[in-house]
Amino acid sequence: MNILDTLFFLVKNMIPYMIPLTIVALGGMFSERSGIVNIALEGIMVFGASFGIFYIYFLPNLFPPQITLLIALVIALISGMVFSLLHAYASINLKANQTISGTALNLFALAFHDFMARLITPNAVEGVRFENAFRIVKVPLLGDIPLIGDLLFKDVYITTYLGIVILIVASFVLYKTRFGLRLRACGEHPQAADSVGIKVNRMRYAGVLISGALAGLGGLVLVVPSTVEYTGTVSGYGFLALAVLIFGQWKPTKIFLAAAFFGLMQVIANSSGLSFFTALGINKYFYQIVPFLTTLIVLTFTSSKSAAPKAAGEPYDPGKR
Amino acid sequence: MKKLLVILSALLVVLSLTACAPKEEEPTYELALVTDIGTIDDKSFNQGAWEGVKQYAEENDITYQYYQPAEATTAAYVEAIGQAVDGGAKVVVTPGYMFAPAILEAQDLYPEVKFVLLDADPHDENYTEFRIEDNVYSIYYAEEQSGFLAGYAAVIDGYTSLGFMGGMAVPAVVRFGHGFVQGAEAAAVELNVDVTVKYEYLNSFAPDDAHKTKALAWYSEGVEAIFVAAGGAGLSVMAAADTLDTAKVIGVDVDQSNLSDSVITSAMKGLTTSVYEALVDYYADEFKGGVIETLDVTKDGVGLPEDFSRFTTFNQAKYDEIYAKLVNGTIVVKKDAAKVMDLVLTKVVITLIGSE
Repeated sequence: MNILDTLFFLVKNMIPYMIPLTIVALGGMFSERSGIVNIALEGIMVFGASFGIFYIYFLPNLFPPQITLLIALVIALISGMVFSLLHAYASINLKANQTISGTALNLFALAFHDFMARLITPNAVEGVRFENAFRIVKVPLLGDIPLIGDLLFKDVYITTYLGIVILIVASFVLYKTRFGLRLRACGEHPQAADSVGIKVNRMRYAGVLISGALAGLGGLVLVVPSTVEYTGTVSGYGFLALAVLIFGQWKPTKIFLAAAFFGLMQVIANSSGLSFFTALGINKYFYQIVPFLTTLIVLTFTSSKSAAPKAAGEPYDPGKR
Repeated sequence: MKKLLVILSALLVVLSLTACAPKEEEPTYELALVTDIGTIDDKSFNQGAWEGVKQYAEENDITYQYYQPAEATTAAYVEAIGQAVDGGAKVVVTPGYMFAPAILEAQDLYPEVKFVLLDADPHDENYTEFRIEDNVYSIYYAEEQSGFLAGYAAVIDGYTSLGFMGGMAVPAVVRFGHGFVQGAEAAAVELNVDVTVKYEYLNSFAPDDAHKTKALAWYSEGVEAIFVAAGGAGLSVMAAADTLDTAKVIGVDVDQSNLSDSVITSAMKGLTTSVYEALVDYYADEFKGGVIETLDVTKDGVGLPEDFSRFTTFNQAKYDEIYAKLVNGTIVVKKDAAKVMDLVLTKVVITLIGSE
């Protein structure tokens, strides 16, 4: 394999990592922009993916594959949203510590998946097998475009396009709509927003529910292409999405770039078997620490100009100025 | 709204209290299995052993249960064995060489309980004390022969660019890998072709995106078939192979052909049968206590599945021929090479990634 092929391989395989990261980090963005820190992203991903996979498990052939996948995605989205209600209720109505509430969700989701999976699988095991019939071998016409066709329109999942649509919609909603402006105001200075008649709690509910919906969706988007059996883990991608969110400075476009960066690092970490890398003669364990090392370095340099929403993490207290 | 919530939660508390009140007697389980690293549904090692337990128990209407140690340490293993015994276990099956020190302790702690130890015989962590009591039956498998058959079949069938992914460099996995390479060599010499093998240990027995990417990288480098002896991690490799038209996988431990169309064959070891038979012996009062046995081709302990339909040229006749050579000793597969690079090979070039 020459350098171009290697590069192509890296970019091509970066996509399954970066799309779910983008979706989930965008979810986190909506929540934090409204003023609620959502570290439950990991748990919501697990939860959403569970229900999506359960659907595929029970009714794999009711509809054509792509429709089945879409329905599963909608189910993941809704279940993620419902699950995030718990976080919203605890952190908005009860004014609970948002970190603790989020952790509770993370712990619950794993146990819940195990419990459910053991109920429904014939051997009472936690792994739920599913038939992955959702890969699109080639998109007609578009797949014939040189390079771009190979990259984006061959061996893809509709989730890739879905991720890009979500990115565009998310940045439109955040910056070009009244809702987006109000949401951002609630995350920066909720008292000021309240003084002009914005219902802070309602906006925050919206923020958390959107994050739940996107995280649930992202969970399934991550799981479907990567395995043939779902065991109730998303291997820390929810937390990685939080890092992407911070690295992306709470802005959609930067989040996308950050997700691409993290995705690329993940691929490099596992590509030490490519002849291009073996020829360099560097120990494979070095490649495996690349994602962590680069994260450390990048966050060190970017954290000084953090653009975190000012009120994120604080329960709204109307009496406070 | 608030009142409703209060009433509901009060109800919930009352109900859950009453539900607990008439405490039933704890159920007991006569047969138990304690899992190694990896879960009961790893589609290979643990599951293979578990199915033996399950099959016997269900046929004879005996209670059975499995226990998962909290972590992969001897202390945690001993504790899990203790749980199993407290749970009423008369026979405890422990798959995995990591159990060797735990069984060394447990055989004295619970002399009335029988243990079936797979892939190991009881010894301490420093390999200084080896002692097997009458309540332990140790089973080894000749994984090197199983791996040999898989490697041989693959090369005979025309694959010349192979890969081996092992879970960790533990004895059984190492035997699989070394056997695989030797099998490829035997076939390469026979056909006079050159074969390359990428060889790596994943340090994991669980499915992971990372393994999928790794497998994709290998396939895109021209590797045609990957033998993955890594429990659940094999699922990720199969997921990778499923996205490519020609990529093939060789399964491990049990017949994994139902997991993916890409699985051409599986290097099996007779986990299910041997556990089953050990239980038959136990209930016939013929438990092979104190015995250390290696199940190889002569005892039908290892081999490939009977279905050869996913091969193009390799077939039953070829298989029987090479199998017979292993049985009568014409071919001896080395299992004690310290490193895979120490094996003397003429037609196979190994690229070792990382270390062994």
